[in-house]
Amino acid sequence: MLYINDLTKKYGSYTAVNHLTLHIPEGDLFGFVGPNGAGKTTTIRIVCGLMRANAGSVQIGNISAAVGSRKMKRLIGYVPDFFGVYDNLKVKEYMDMYGSMYGMSSRDIAKLSDDLLELVNLSDKKEVYVDTLSRGMKQRLCVARALLHNPRLLILDEPSSGLDPRARVEMKELLKNLHAMGKTIVISSHILSELSEMCTSIGIMNRGQLVTAGRIEDIMKKISGGRRIHLRVLSDMEPALRLLREQAQVRVESVRENEVIILFDGEETRLAGLLGMLLQNQVLVTDFHREEGSLESLFMQLTGGVAE
Amino acid sequence: MKIRWNPIVKKDLQVTARSMRISWGLFAYEAALALAFLLVLAIIQEEADSWYSDNFYSYLVVLFPVLAVVQVCIVTLIVPIITASAISGEKERQTFDLMLTTCMTPFSIVFGKVMSAVINILLFVAASTPVMALSFVVGGMRWSYLFYFLLAILLQAVFSGSIGIFASSLCRKSIVAVLLSFSIYGGFYVLTALPPLISMIFGMGRNMGESALFLLLNPVVFFEEFFMLLMTGETMFNGTISKGDAGIVTYMLSHYNLWIYVSAGCMLLVSFLFMLMAAWKVNPLHSGTGVRKKK
Repeated sequence: MLYINDLTKKYGSYTAVNHLTLHIPEGDLFGFVGPNGAGKTTTIRIVCGLMRANAGSVQIGNISAAVGSRKMKRLIGYVPDFFGVYDNLKVKEYMDMYGSMYGMSSRDIAKLSDDLLELVNLSDKKEVYVDTLSRGMKQRLCVARALLHNPRLLILDEPSSGLDPRARVEMKELLKNLHAMGKTIVISSHILSELSEMCTSIGIMNRGQLVTAGRIEDIMKKISGGRRIHLRVLSDMEPALRLLREQAQVRVESVRENEVIILFDGEETRLAGLLGMLLQNQVLVTDFHREEGSLESLFMQLTGGVAE
Repeated sequence: MKIRWNPIVKKDLQVTARSMRISWGLFAYEAALALAFLLVLAIIQEEADSWYSDNFYSYLVVLFPVLAVVQVCIVTLIVPIITASAISGEKERQTFDLMLTTCMTPFSIVFGKVMSAVINILLFVAASTPVMALSFVVGGMRWSYLFYFLLAILLQAVFSGSIGIFASSLCRKSIVAVLLSFSIYGGFYVLTALPPLISMIFGMGRNMGESALFLLLNPVVFFEEFFMLLMTGETMFNGTISKGDAGIVTYMLSHYNLWIYVSAGCMLLVSFLFMLMAAWKVNPLHSGTGVRKKK
């Protein structure tokens, strides 16, 4: 669906996006993660045609940004991290204006606008002035506006920033619904817990480069928590610790009363062998499990920074 | 066939119509015209005492050009203010990026902004009809003059509006854009008048060549020609330049009474160029980096 090839953007000597290559398949809900200044917004702005890249290309479906930016604009719905509303303009008129900007007929705008306002729970606010809406409502209106021309790709730049918890939940539900409808969605966000609940795949950017990208489960398994094993024993801890320390692939990380956490570098069969060896040596193991990696820990591990 | 409104024009008119600014603007416009009317009437009345009584009514015909010039001056001041804050205002409201992500071309955005300013001005001019009509009561004028005046003021609105939109495309802050548009506008007055002036001063009455052609782009000269043509039929360039005074092009324009039409055409062309440059400047794929500050 979205192909970004070797994209580079420089501001003077500062490289905001450095040879970024990314493919987002159709129907995916893709989370774009990275610390401030990682290059997420720059990438999104280039994809939306709001900025020119120094090198590389962007393609949506079979349309390249370089040759058909107007055609490409029809394929993209963009929700920025600001609301961009007018005083003295009603919700219905706001939708009408953007529909006209996409060359839609008044009849189509009226019909689609009604459906979309219902989808975002704003159908009772049609005659209300946009600037009187709450932040959450404005953000939902922005999503409805971005969907008006029925784009194939919806791009949201930090859609939950500045929203209260209730509005965040509503936004999350809305995005889940849109994903279920088959829309391809790209979300840039700092709220990692939300992304891990919603997204089917993620891409982590740091200092303009894509550190990793793929399905969340695969990345977790590959990189983070998979190495850390929690082991609980019923009997004395000493024999268990002695046996573990004898293993070259094991490093004991911490020891508590009846629990030990180890870092294991090895394949699954060797891990099973480790458990078997403990049991053979009469260590009464009551719990032996791999630690689930969180997106936060993954993010910190990959970016070397602090998760927000 | 259904007329398709430029969405920018429609939105701007909707938003403007609901704001108090338009009401206050109309009030100020009418008040300025009424004051100008009363002032001119008072001056004529005062001067009438020293004239023969039958001259009083004949002098009242100056009411039309005076009111018209006042309107031209107000339009010249208002339109750049409206258009200079058009794009920078959208940038300040953070709505400009959203416009650029739609299927509207940068030129249609720029054109829509200028047109909405021109339509606003038309509203002002239409509202001034009752005051202008007073000058017709005293006679000596034709109703067609009002139509010509409308065309001329439209031209002036497009010309100054396009300068304003160009300034707006260069600046992030509206106030800077307004100042820049007045500077560009002032530059037009001065720079287009300089070549013929230099030619006249240093030529010592000799042939001034084609230097007068720069005046085709001077709004002051255009309106001087326009009003003189309407009021007296004799203007600075209307059949008054002989072959020895100027170059062949200037002479031809004067001889065939084409000056005012060519001047109007040139002003429209320059307006179009300013709009094209503004569209080029606001197009994120052409201009600079388009870096937006994060909140």
